[in-house]
Amino acid sequence: MDYARFVRLRRPIWQSFERRLAISRRMPRGLAYDDLQELALEYRQVLHDHALAAARYPGTGAARQLAALALAGTHRLTRGAERVGARDLVTHAFPRAFRRQLPALALAAGLFALAAFCGLVVAALQPALGTMLLGPKAVEELAQGRLWTQALTTTVPPVVSSSGIATNNLSVALVAWSGGVLGGIVPLYIILLNGAMLGALASVTLHYSMAGALLEFIAAHGPLEITLTLVASACGLSLGRALVAAGDRPRGLALREAARDALVVLVCSLPWFVVLALVETLVSPSPSLPVWLKLLLGCALLLLYLALALRPPLPLRQEMRADGLAPLRVEAAD
Amino acid sequence: MREAPGAGDLGEDGATVLGLDNIGLRLPIAGAGSRTLAAFVDYLCIGLGMLLWILLVLVVFSWTSPALRVALLICGWFLLEWGYFAGFEIASGGHTLGKRALRLHVVSAEGGEAGSGALLIRNLVRLFDVLVGVPLMAFDPLARRLGDRLAGTLVIHQDRPWQPVVLGRTPPGWGPREVAAAEALLARAGELADPGAGQDLARRLLARVERDAPGFVAGLDFRDPLRALRLALEVPPAAREI
Repeated sequence: MDYARFVRLRRPIWQSFERRLAISRRMPRGLAYDDLQELALEYRQVLHDHALAAARYPGTGAARQLAALALAGTHRLTRGAERVGARDLVTHAFPRAFRRQLPALALAAGLFALAAFCGLVVAALQPALGTMLLGPKAVEELAQGRLWTQALTTTVPPVVSSSGIATNNLSVALVAWSGGVLGGIVPLYIILLNGAMLGALASVTLHYSMAGALLEFIAAHGPLEITLTLVASACGLSLGRALVAAGDRPRGLALREAARDALVVLVCSLPWFVVLALVETLVSPSPSLPVWLKLLLGCALLLLYLALALRPPLPLRQEMRADGLAPLRVEAAD
Repeated sequence: MREAPGAGDLGEDGATVLGLDNIGLRLPIAGAGSRTLAAFVDYLCIGLGMLLWILLVLVVFSWTSPALRVALLICGWFLLEWGYFAGFEIASGGHTLGKRALRLHVVSAEGGEAGSGALLIRNLVRLFDVLVGVPLMAFDPLARRLGDRLAGTLVIHQDRPWQPVVLGRTPPGWGPREVAAAEALLARAGELADPGAGQDLARRLLARVERDAPGFVAGLDFRDPLRALRLALEVPPAAREI
């Protein structure tokens, strides 16, 4: 077929496709279901014409125009991944993704416990380490029977404390998650550092007989805060594992799958940091609340989070049309 | 993403990826230079946004307590730092202000619309891409940084102007090179810096048309070769718009 005949024969399809595509951009609901089906059919025809033109008439106006049309159609009609609503995210995607993170979470918890034990022992053997970690002023306060955390309520207004704590914890979680792309080194560092610091602080407070006060302070927010930090770090470790040991799958594919799961877990875990910041500012330093109440709140928050994370995943809600047909979608090749 | 044979062979049109029905799709991949420039514009916007936020909090929220203003500053700072790129890309379907300025666009690995999750993922690792992103983009045929590899996304040039189809008929035996030359000349004749060169090329193409299809040029006035070539090969203006 000569070039001019090819253009003459196929041009009506291209024109119709471009017209429908423009309507779908301007007002997505302006196309009826039949129009959408027609659009999908024309898209395939444009794609095939594009392939023919690129092979037989490279560099011509028709080839360039079809390339642009094919690209515009592909962008409009294909989507990288399915959209998940907020309810499906929490009730379906989150429990499924969380279960897949459990091995990494167990590893993170084990490393954290080991680092905490090491921190405890080292700080007990080297008391100077506690001074270095806390600073001389905090150690001086400990010697006088006061926890350095009292400053949260006495010197800084609660609204500033809570926003500072929330943004700091969120940043740590985000860095632990995203640092997984460097082979898991960053989340590993965060797990070990936090574990060692907690162990060392426990040792220092034990030395000054203030361990009870420290436990009282962290009872309300500590269990969930540590868990969330470990969960974010576990997601980072999963990313690192996909990068370093992809198995028999292509590394890019393994990374993308790990990232999707890790993102779901992160998105469903981050809002808890805001709740925890309020607890840490308003409840944890409060001397008027009994320890058992703080401990109860801490356990309740942790159990609530774990209940959401470990519940059996509910089936996805299908978005069905009134006539029972599934929504039209041109699936992208994967 | 599967790359078509020859994928990563970056010509002027970008790289080819396999799309629907395994048909190769040419994507005008944006290189490290334009993307770095877009990021520079974006970071300027972030800086400006932070300044505006400080002014807004100090002026508009002056009736509130100083503590609340500090808290607002902290939260705004955090949201701008972590949310600017992802927020803009999700809200506008793959653009930030910098990308819009340079006409760049984030798409999925198949050239489709990138989902919110992918846009979020590619921007969460931006902190580390500031360190290693540019070398990765420079050495990757598809100019992907860490975030793009993780999310399965690409950044392409948006709406590149393409040459309109102008030929309504072609002489027998003409291949794509002759067609492309004639179309390019007719489409760009008005923009040529040296009109004489355009007339000269039109004259030579007319000679080819006369040799291959004498009927196309019968009765045409050759004193204006460009006009004669247009009349010989071009479709009527009404049928030209696709």
